[in-house]
Amino acid sequence: MRLNGRWKRTLAAVLFGGMLVLTSGGCSQPPQRFTTSFLDVFDTASAIVGYAPDQQTFDLQADQCHQTLERYNQLYDIYNSYDGLANLKTINDNAGVAPVEVSEEIIDLLQFGKEMYELSDGLVNICFGSVLEIWHDYREDGLSHPEKAELPPMELLEEAAEHTDIDALIIDEEASTVYLSDPEMRLDVGAIAKGYAVQRMTESAVENGMENAAFSIGGNVSTVGWKEGKEGNPWIIGIENPDLTAGDYLLTVGISDLSVVTSGNYQRYYTVDGNRYHHIIDPNTLMPADYMQAVSVLTDDSGLGDGLSTMLFLMPVDEGRELVESLDGVEALWVEMDGTVVTSSGFDEYIND
Amino acid sequence: MEKKKTFGRRDLILLLVVLAIGLAGILFLYTRPAAADGEVEVSVDGEVVMTLPLSEDTEVTISGFDGGENLLVISDGKAEIESASCPDGVCVRHYAISRDGESIICLPNRVVVTIRGGEKGEVDAIA
Repeated sequence: MRLNGRWKRTLAAVLFGGMLVLTSGGCSQPPQRFTTSFLDVFDTASAIVGYAPDQQTFDLQADQCHQTLERYNQLYDIYNSYDGLANLKTINDNAGVAPVEVSEEIIDLLQFGKEMYELSDGLVNICFGSVLEIWHDYREDGLSHPEKAELPPMELLEEAAEHTDIDALIIDEEASTVYLSDPEMRLDVGAIAKGYAVQRMTESAVENGMENAAFSIGGNVSTVGWKEGKEGNPWIIGIENPDLTAGDYLLTVGISDLSVVTSGNYQRYYTVDGNRYHHIIDPNTLMPADYMQAVSVLTDDSGLGDGLSTMLFLMPVDEGRELVESLDGVEALWVEMDGTVVTSSGFDEYIND
Repeated sequence: MEKKKTFGRRDLILLLVVLAIGLAGILFLYTRPAAADGEVEVSVDGEVVMTLPLSEDTEVTISGFDGGENLLVISDGKAEIESASCPDGVCVRHYAISRDGESIICLPNRVVVTIRGGEKGEVDAIA
């Protein structure tokens, strides 16, 4: 075989070029998908899904998220104390005693709690701790000893409800102190803290370079960017079926840079005489709310989503629907007691077929 | 002086052989099965304690945190918790899982059962 010089050079160039194309096709792979999960924050299961160039990058970013959540979890804890940290338990322990100097994250959360109180006409009340504490104790006892499970006596709940006036929560922003002027009052931020923390964590994750990720902190989902890092390719979020045995999600939604939060009667409850009593307590009846099985809220702020999902769970579906329609950038889905699904006007656009 | 050969017949053969090997490699990477059969990964308190094939029917007791126990049953390519010592029973009520990334979690016993590989799950998170 004889080839002249020019031919050879052309052939070599073509072959070499071809190899380059082939090998570079192998190198410039799309970002890979990584996942991690943990069980040690906000008394729930957490998972992070993200797309990153390599495992090391993802691990570093996910670790920062985990640490952020751990810090918020400690700050907003009402059951445990931590060395050298003034948290919500410290404030509760000092009710009627003295103002407690706290960090900005606590002041901000409590201010947000007051906003949610206003928006909900008192349905979402972070000063409802004295009542919720009683339900918490009876539920824990009932779960540990199902045969002895009982309901809290109404007189006890009514007595506690005397100490839930949000005006007794005194926040001094200049001095960075919080004081409960009613010695019997207790803070319980269960309706808003997780979502608020998830929102703050999501924002810091973006600052730390996480471009495409989905966070799920016990029913509180927040997303940034796109699935597979492909613009226009939304994250697929399953809305849990209140009937956990159903074998599949109720439906799925496709979202980007949005949050979905669900409040339902099916996750945390105990059983007394064959009846379920869940953990979301109606301040008007002092009993578990029974307007619906679940409600999911879609919004761009997970803190607002958390507060709203509790709020909507505590009011009739019609009233809640009116509230949602009056708010910008908020959509919701309700599962009524008989399983009927109701959605707000813009929700269906997000439903993933 | 004789002109030095820069690209002869042998070079061409060598180049073609190298290319062929490269192509074969690329074909292998792109055409091999995406993932083998799914596996069931069990972790307790964050540590993976066992990994079982989803394709093999079996029953195994998971020793969870603080003496807690969960009975894991794998059958017909699905994994579920049949019974557990935890007070709330959320894990027992959970449906059987089979798709990549699906999980059943028992908080009291700190047990997480997760499907790895196998049929792709479309859902990224659950609310």
